Amino acid sequence: MMNKTMKMVFWIVLLLILVFYPRLFGIYYTNLFVSFAVFAVFAVSLNMLLGYTGLLSFGHAMFFGTGGYATALALKHIQGMTVLPAVGIGFLAAMILALVLCPLVVRVSGTAFAMLHLAFGQLMYVLALKFRNITGGEDGIGNFPIPDLNFFGVISIGMKGNPVNFYYLALVILGVSLWLMWFLTKTPFGQIQTGIRDNAKRIDYLGYKVPQTKAVVYVISGAFAGIAGSVYGLFHNLVSADGSLGILVSFVPITAVMVGGMGSFFGPIWGTAIFQIIEEIVLRFTDRVELVMGLMLILIIMFAPRGFTGLVNTLKMKWQAYAAVRSGMEKKT
Amino acid sequence: MNVLETRDLHHDFSGLKVLFGVNLQVREGERHAVIGPNGAGKTTLFNTITGTYHPSGGDVFYKEKKITGYKPHELVRIGIGRSFQITSTFTRLTAFENIRLAILSKHGIRFNLFRNVNKMKEVTEETEAMLERVNLIGERDIPAGMLSYGKSRALEISMAMATDPELVLLDEFAAGMSRDETHNAVELIRKMTTGKTVVIIEHDMDVVFSLADKITVLHYGKILATGTPDEIRRNPDVKDAYLGDLEV
Repeated sequence: MMNKTMKMVFWIVLLLILVFYPRLFGIYYTNLFVSFAVFAVFAVSLNMLLGYTGLLSFGHAMFFGTGGYATALALKHIQGMTVLPAVGIGFLAAMILALVLCPLVVRVSGTAFAMLHLAFGQLMYVLALKFRNITGGEDGIGNFPIPDLNFFGVISIGMKGNPVNFYYLALVILGVSLWLMWFLTKTPFGQIQTGIRDNAKRIDYLGYKVPQTKAVVYVISGAFAGIAGSVYGLFHNLVSADGSLGILVSFVPITAVMVGGMGSFFGPIWGTAIFQIIEEIVLRFTDRVELVMGLMLILIIMFAPRGFTGLVNTLKMKWQAYAAVRSGMEKKT
Repeated sequence: MNVLETRDLHHDFSGLKVLFGVNLQVREGERHAVIGPNGAGKTTLFNTITGTYHPSGGDVFYKEKKITGYKPHELVRIGIGRSFQITSTFTRLTAFENIRLAILSKHGIRFNLFRNVNKMKEVTEETEAMLERVNLIGERDIPAGMLSYGKSRALEISMAMATDPELVLLDEFAAGMSRDETHNAVELIRKMTTGKTVVIIEHDMDVVFSLADKITVLHYGKILATGTPDEIRRNPDVKDAYLGDLEV
């Protein structure tokens, strides 16, 4: 049992590690961590739909990519644009895309929802390739300016070519995003969301509007995927169709959610971490990362269908049962 | 005043006629049972009243107001609740969370994205009071999908009641229950529905005659008879069609 002080200590230690992380682990692992944080937020935003509302999307990359493109375009074309508003524009662009799509997609669920997203996701991908003069086609938008972070002209923090500073910026943006999504699951609205996943008909018969609720979840999920994409674009100083809109990008959060466990909020974060760690290790031996990942996914779906968190919970329950039996035996003797 | 009234209600499923002009009248404070053999259209009647289906003819009135074609959530908001024949709970949420969703709806807390639900004291207290009333407090933190049959039926009924409706429609609440469970459920319903108008569908004649103060017999989509339990018991048509020689 974790009590309040233990929790406090845990969060303070975690915060300290995160603050001193670049000094402790160096630039390479700092960059790796930013990439992890981006995909963790992306996976959690997908899990809002998949784990909490029961909607599987095969096209979540369209929000990720829209966020990235919007930020890149804003920084490239708008004079005097700064970093935080640019991320805000990424957030808004993904949100608007979700708002446009939601009247249609909230009326379907299950396979139709998944396939519709496959179609829209691919549509966005093709659009990004075809509108060459705006999006740069296959090349994407690269090397756009990333201005320094300026607080009221008092402090100016260099961003471009300074991965440590960027690490802190990404950490704050993504941390706040995660916290907001976590808080959402604790609100009455979050409860209705899980109710829809379990039994949409009953939610209707309790007096809630199902399509409208789904629409709000959908827009929130899309908007946070947009933030993740926006930070990802800034991080690489490049957004491209294959890198942030392609079908494979849509599968990254799905697999992370599957591996981590979709029932819980932190599952997708675990899933992303597990994938990154394994990728790092596998890369030392072979370039065929996908082969190992695919094999792992098969094993997880076969033997731990509720993912990493499900596995941990099962082990915990077994341990408790074992401990109970043992203490019972000790009492007898 | 008639709390619920259907006028010449028709329904057919792509050609298969199920309801032929049903005129049901439920007065305020009444416990009204709808009985009839399998396939008589009882559940279809419920579904057309509560917005699962749109009736193919006729109208439904709630307190003299036309509610034909209202969606389920609209009906709940004007004070109509229903339970389901096949238990329909949120299987992965705990008993507490199941009831809490109903309580939140009753208070009109729907799109609240800014407050932690666990810190809403009134809602928590009210939910626990409800669990207490239906003897589910011991199962507070057990997922609804893991409750015993009797307990999950109790949860089903209490969810319908927790939105505090004035009119409750209960669809075969005792289906599949043991004798003891049925007895408890009848007591529970008696306790929970005081001052409310109740319409029940039921196959168990013991339940019907002990609970209802008015009975409507539905037979092949038409009303065969309506009356007090005594009138129904003596009605020769009903005996022929449904009750047979059953001693009730």
